[in-house]
Amino acid sequence: MSGDYDHDHHAPKPWGPHDWGHGAPHNSFSPLFMSMGIAIFLFGMAQAWSYGTYNPGNIPMILVGLLVVGFSLFIWWRQDISFDGHYEPLATGVPFRGIQIRKVGVWVFLMSEMMVFTSLFSTYMRYRLGIENCGTVFDRGMFDPVTNPTGWQEGVTVTCFEPASHLIASSWWHIAPGAINTFALIISSFTIVQALRYAKMPDLDDEARRKKVYRYLGTTWFLAVLFLTLKMVEWFIGFYVPEISAIGLHEHDIISLVDEGYTINADHYQHHSYVDEATGAHMVADIQVSASLFYVTTGTHGAHVAGGIIGLSYMTYKAWLGGYTPKNAVSIEYFGLYWHFVDLIWVLVFPFFYLY
Amino acid sequence: MAHYKIFGQDPYWMNFFGLMILTLIEVAAVGLDLTEFAQSYDTTEKVVTLWILTIIAIPKFIMIAAIFMHLYGDEDSGILTLTALFPAFFIIIMVLFVGLTHPDAASGLPDWCRPGNYGL
Repeated sequence: MSGDYDHDHHAPKPWGPHDWGHGAPHNSFSPLFMSMGIAIFLFGMAQAWSYGTYNPGNIPMILVGLLVVGFSLFIWWRQDISFDGHYEPLATGVPFRGIQIRKVGVWVFLMSEMMVFTSLFSTYMRYRLGIENCGTVFDRGMFDPVTNPTGWQEGVTVTCFEPASHLIASSWWHIAPGAINTFALIISSFTIVQALRYAKMPDLDDEARRKKVYRYLGTTWFLAVLFLTLKMVEWFIGFYVPEISAIGLHEHDIISLVDEGYTINADHYQHHSYVDEATGAHMVADIQVSASLFYVTTGTHGAHVAGGIIGLSYMTYKAWLGGYTPKNAVSIEYFGLYWHFVDLIWVLVFPFFYLY
Repeated sequence: MAHYKIFGQDPYWMNFFGLMILTLIEVAAVGLDLTEFAQSYDTTEKVVTLWILTIIAIPKFIMIAAIFMHLYGDEDSGILTLTALFPAFFIIIMVLFVGLTHPDAASGLPDWCRPGNYGL
């Protein structure tokens, strides 16, 4: 198909629907309008919550942004509704000649995503390495004018920071939601690969393929929902640990991060006393809990999972109807690239934002 | 799809098992008391934990990208790997010059790399 471009004098309609028999359209206004809509939306959001102050006057701008995005998506959908998934345009230019254009597009998108998360990671590194946390201050030891002039003094309150990861890494129960989520994402990466494998398998009868593909995609969907559910438990809800004396488990509540004081604008202090076991001395600290970057980064990742759930809902439904064949299974592959990327980011988020 | 084997087995299953084992080691590294081990290397437990987590994150990252995302073993793996590595320059800039700088870098840097020298 892609070889026909040079001889194709067909003029595709920029507002769709598109005739795919003449190749892929190159003149859609939708991406341009959608970018403008997102810009208006983000500008409105930034203005609506400025320095912790809510300005309702900017809500119309947010709504206009969403309206433009919705309009663009509608046009895009209208153009692509005639796409049956069997025609796969190939790149004609160097260096991607012969590779599916959509596949290259997904990779370019993932590159931009990588830059978004790199910005968040570098900010986190800067924050963690640049600001001393309470544990580091305590580890410096007691003040001594000669041997330890930068140490803490008994009776003098120290003001220091505690990142959310310190609370999470403090007990197995606090780690549990993040650890389960790690396994959930790895399993989901595997199940989506399995869905692709069975969708592409040529010597499988249609009913067996339908069952395999929708079960694996459905499992991926379930694991994604589990991920966000546990995220909500960890952030807002907390959970109850029952008494099981046989294994030495005592009844207690695991309090959510928000209830522990880790809010996105954490502007309050918690008082805590650290005891030096060697000398019996106390370091009294006013701890400013700090979690803004934790919520922004894990929230951005969570938003990607939420986006994945929307895609998976559609794909699972399509698979249930028997919509995937070896000829159009690449759609699962392209979504799979995005989903693996979400897993990839979590591989870095979990150790550094949860465990360290 | 993968056209190769890992130790004679299906690559996706092998990758899956490998990732699960590495994640278990990660969680164990945080839960175990590594104080004595850290002291034997004249460092703190946190530093040891960070090294373990960083070292384990690297193979996990590569395993997902190479096997699950097909950056290894497919016809187009080479050019797509280069595409995926394209942001590496940006990442190096962000990590080295933003992430690893110190708050007093502007005033604490040596004279030769501060504004005000060379007539700037």
